[in-house]
Amino acid sequence: MSHSYECILCIVNAGFSDNVMDAAKSAGARGGTVLHARGTGAREAETFFGITVQEEKEIVMILVNAQIKADVLHALYHAVGLNTPGQGIAFSLPVDEVVGIEITVPKETK
Amino acid sequence: MTSNKTVSGNALLKCKLLVTVVDHRKEDFFMDYIQAHGANLQMTMRGEGTAKSEMLRMLGLTESEKTVLFSVVREDNVRALCDGLAEKFKTVKNGQGIAFTIPLSSVVGASVYRFLSNQKTGGTIT
Repeated sequence: MSHSYECILCIVNAGFSDNVMDAAKSAGARGGTVLHARGTGAREAETFFGITVQEEKEIVMILVNAQIKADVLHALYHAVGLNTPGQGIAFSLPVDEVVGIEITVPKETK
Repeated sequence: MTSNKTVSGNALLKCKLLVTVVDHRKEDFFMDYIQAHGANLQMTMRGEGTAKSEMLRMLGLTESEKTVLFSVVREDNVRALCDGLAEKFKTVKNGQGIAFTIPLSSVVGASVYRFLSNQKTGGTIT
């Protein structure tokens, strides 16, 4: 049983962090931390594509068991992906050591 | 406690990015603790926890201000530091938190590397 973890970062328009957490929890994540940030590509998008992009962003950082990482990323893509109002992207970083959380073993699916 | 190493040049110790999420009231405590383990660079930012309970949600008490701490630590200090953090999470009042490490793949600049890995130049391993 692998207990390795991954850190998922999901960057969405400000105000959509609740959608991110709902989607992540539906795929098995337990909780996350929301950081406020500002995107930097707004001027180029306006110049080249004639669209206004919201600058204010929220980054949701979620630590997940490696076994559910793909499920969580898929759920995020469908709920807050680029073709949704959230206009979000999500990616994962490898994590070596984790302290401070209980080990929850995801249910085996047959 | 921290080993302020001087290395002969054979062993290239890697660095890790340590991410620590704790209650914002304990920011200074954990920054000092991590610095004592040899982290020269730390960056701190505010975050909001998202874990909710139904009871707190009904009372409107779901905001939990967090501090997210990014620290660069040499890989041979990581184990002792993580064990120490686990201990602090359990024993310090309001100190409950999580911490995890992400491997750093590249560092640009020899003096930057020495700064981040807390190593001085020349000499033998002490």
